Amino acid sequence: MKRTVYVFSGGQLKREGNTIVLISEDDKRVIPVEAISEICVFSEITLNKRLLEFLTQKKVILHFFNHYGYYVGTYYPREYMNSGLIVLKQVEHFLNPSLRLGLARSFVYGAIANMLFVLRVYSSRGCCLENQIRAIEDKLSEINTAREIPSLMSVEGAAREIYYSAFDEIIGDPDFSFEVRSRRPPANRLNALISFGNSLLYSTVLSEIYRTHLDPRIGYLHETNQRSFTLNLDLAEIFKPIIVDRVIFSLLNRREIKANDFREDLGGIYMLEKGMRKFIKAYEERLSETIKHKRLRRKVSYRRLIRLECYKIYKHILMDEVYTPFVRTR
Amino acid sequence: MFVILVYDAGEKRVNKFHKICRRYLTWVQLSVFEGELTLSQLEALKLDLWKVMDPEEDSIIIYTFRTKKYFKREVIGCEKGDPEDIFI
Repeated sequence: MKRTVYVFSGGQLKREGNTIVLISEDDKRVIPVEAISEICVFSEITLNKRLLEFLTQKKVILHFFNHYGYYVGTYYPREYMNSGLIVLKQVEHFLNPSLRLGLARSFVYGAIANMLFVLRVYSSRGCCLENQIRAIEDKLSEINTAREIPSLMSVEGAAREIYYSAFDEIIGDPDFSFEVRSRRPPANRLNALISFGNSLLYSTVLSEIYRTHLDPRIGYLHETNQRSFTLNLDLAEIFKPIIVDRVIFSLLNRREIKANDFREDLGGIYMLEKGMRKFIKAYEERLSETIKHKRLRRKVSYRRLIRLECYKIYKHILMDEVYTPFVRTR
Repeated sequence: MFVILVYDAGEKRVNKFHKICRRYLTWVQLSVFEGELTLSQLEALKLDLWKVMDPEEDSIIIYTFRTKKYFKREVIGCEKGDPEDIFI
């Protein structure tokens, strides 16, 4: 599969010799355009319309992150997989309250079931997590009794709160205590890691949606409002526990990320560039890690799993097959 | 698959070869490129090279590996390009 390139050095990103180059003050780095599917930009770069035209032609998507590692936006090239039918069906499923609730329930179910999987993994490794597991299991039944989207989101929020309360037990490092979930700004190092990982995942899911007929602007669990993309947020919910959180745990338990990979700024804690690099490296490794897919009977990477999830949504909205979210099991 | 591509080309064409290869692969040494490609990308690269090469004079050798498990890459001296690097 085509890979992702992360730009950390500043300079001018331009088209040259039918490929993309980053020209900084003292050197020139070539990005093999045919072998990449997306570029994530963390540094200060300049670019021109010619480059954007070229990226559109090559169907390369460009994600921007700001100084603090927050997602800023995406250059989403012209859709090349247009399907009026799919958009129509997506809208139909959004406008019909019961159809929308059905899909939203699946996303919440997938998210909670995967949280449970992660907790069980660490419980089998000797962490004392029985209370949290039982409390989250209780939440599973509430998914079906929730009658509106907001109450569904509160079920998800409550489950996630219990889930986060298990983090201290799993990590067991006073440098990375959880306290409470806080964003904008993250109040501590663990929150900074979670926020950074989630924003990476949102952009990865968006890139996968771009390769399908789905329209990322129509989400089901997250309100389709003034913000441009929501479907990627829905799908990311399912994968956050098994991709982002597992990356965080393994980085911290192997002591690869330490307290000095963070800095304090504007009343919050942010990752330094070296911390981001370590995180991204582990995140990319996780995405290319393969697991045996039961139905396909072959190994697929996590990145491919995200794409398969999109195809399952096709089938659901075309009324071919009911969508069941991906849930990691042993 | 992992690909190592080396070429010998006439003076007039070396630059063309270089420009085509760097669209797909990472430049690691003079006339040597490496990188991870799919089968279709490799075929596209071969086609592009075929269009500019002179079969009488130029020679291209492509080594492909299904996985990277069975070889070790060792660099002595300075590293000019790392095909594994995801950071730019």
